[in-house]
Amino acid sequence: MSDQRIEAYSRALFEVAHAENNLSVVEDELFRMARAIESNEELRSTLTDSSIPAQRRQQVVEELLGGKASNTTVQLVSLIIGAGRGRDLPAIVDRLVQRASSEQQREVAEVRSAVALSDDQKKRLTEALSKSTGRKLNLKVIVDTSVLGGLVATVGDEVIDDTVRTRLEQLKTRI
Amino acid sequence: MNLIYSVLIAIPNETHHWLLPETAEIIYGGLASSIVFAGLYKFGWPMAVKAMAARTARIQRDLDAAADARAKSETDALSIRTALGDIESERQKILLEADTQAAAIITDGRVRLVKEVAELEAKAVADLAAARGRSGEELRGEISRLSSAATTAAVSATLNDRAQQDLIEGFITSVGASR
Repeated sequence: MSDQRIEAYSRALFEVAHAENNLSVVEDELFRMARAIESNEELRSTLTDSSIPAQRRQQVVEELLGGKASNTTVQLVSLIIGAGRGRDLPAIVDRLVQRASSEQQREVAEVRSAVALSDDQKKRLTEALSKSTGRKLNLKVIVDTSVLGGLVATVGDEVIDDTVRTRLEQLKTRI
Repeated sequence: MNLIYSVLIAIPNETHHWLLPETAEIIYGGLASSIVFAGLYKFGWPMAVKAMAARTARIQRDLDAAADARAKSETDALSIRTALGDIESERQKILLEADTQAAAIITDGRVRLVKEVAELEAKAVADLAAARGRSGEELRGEISRLSSAATTAAVSATLNDRAQQDLIEGFITSVGASR
């Protein structure tokens, strides 16, 4: 998909979420959905398989997110999948997150953790990362069991990695 | 004696002599013979002379042809002898060249074989060393892989909820204190 089209879709999603006055929640849910599509090969191939009817793919989205995400998020994801742009959903959502962060003059901080973070931990982590990087941040937490333990935070080009996986990799390299 | 006498004496009862012809017969016979001999001389002799001359000429031609053939044969024999000489010298030359080339090929082949054997030996030694190193590397890799898997399994088993929370809190604290 061209950059222009990704930009257009992200702008449309942004405007809808903004109009619904639900931008923060929708943005967060879309972000998690995008990461889930990226990391799950089976889900990705199902949602991007053009041989499966669009209606069926949309049904999969609704079954997957129903009750777990806001109605706006479900409708927006369903719209993109139905338009046959499932493969570009992560890029569209990333652009949307960037746009939303820019609106708040913030930068996206992507954090991967093996377990979910509490709201208090997210708040303190945001403050710590903002203090460390000197920037206002929009924290996005992804539960990724492959990190095994600890956290890895990516802010722009800067990566702060203190995961068990990385330590094991370093140990393996030394061995 | 009686016999001679009896021959010379005519037999009184006979009309003609038992041996000598009549004079007229002698005359006529002599004339006829002369005519015959004259005719033969007149007509037969030139033909005989001509036939003899033709035969002589034919024999001469045959002799000349034989002489020519002989001369040609001698020339051919000379050419053949010359050619044989050339062939012999060429054969000697070719044999000499072949011997030289064979000697060169044998020498080159021997040198090349010695070189190839040396290279093969060197390669075999290098392959052995590489195989030895590879085996060592593979062994080290396997040990590393097993160690890593064992470590990962052991660490994963110890990562309970408390440990996870400690790691998260440790990260927040260290990041917050980093500036």
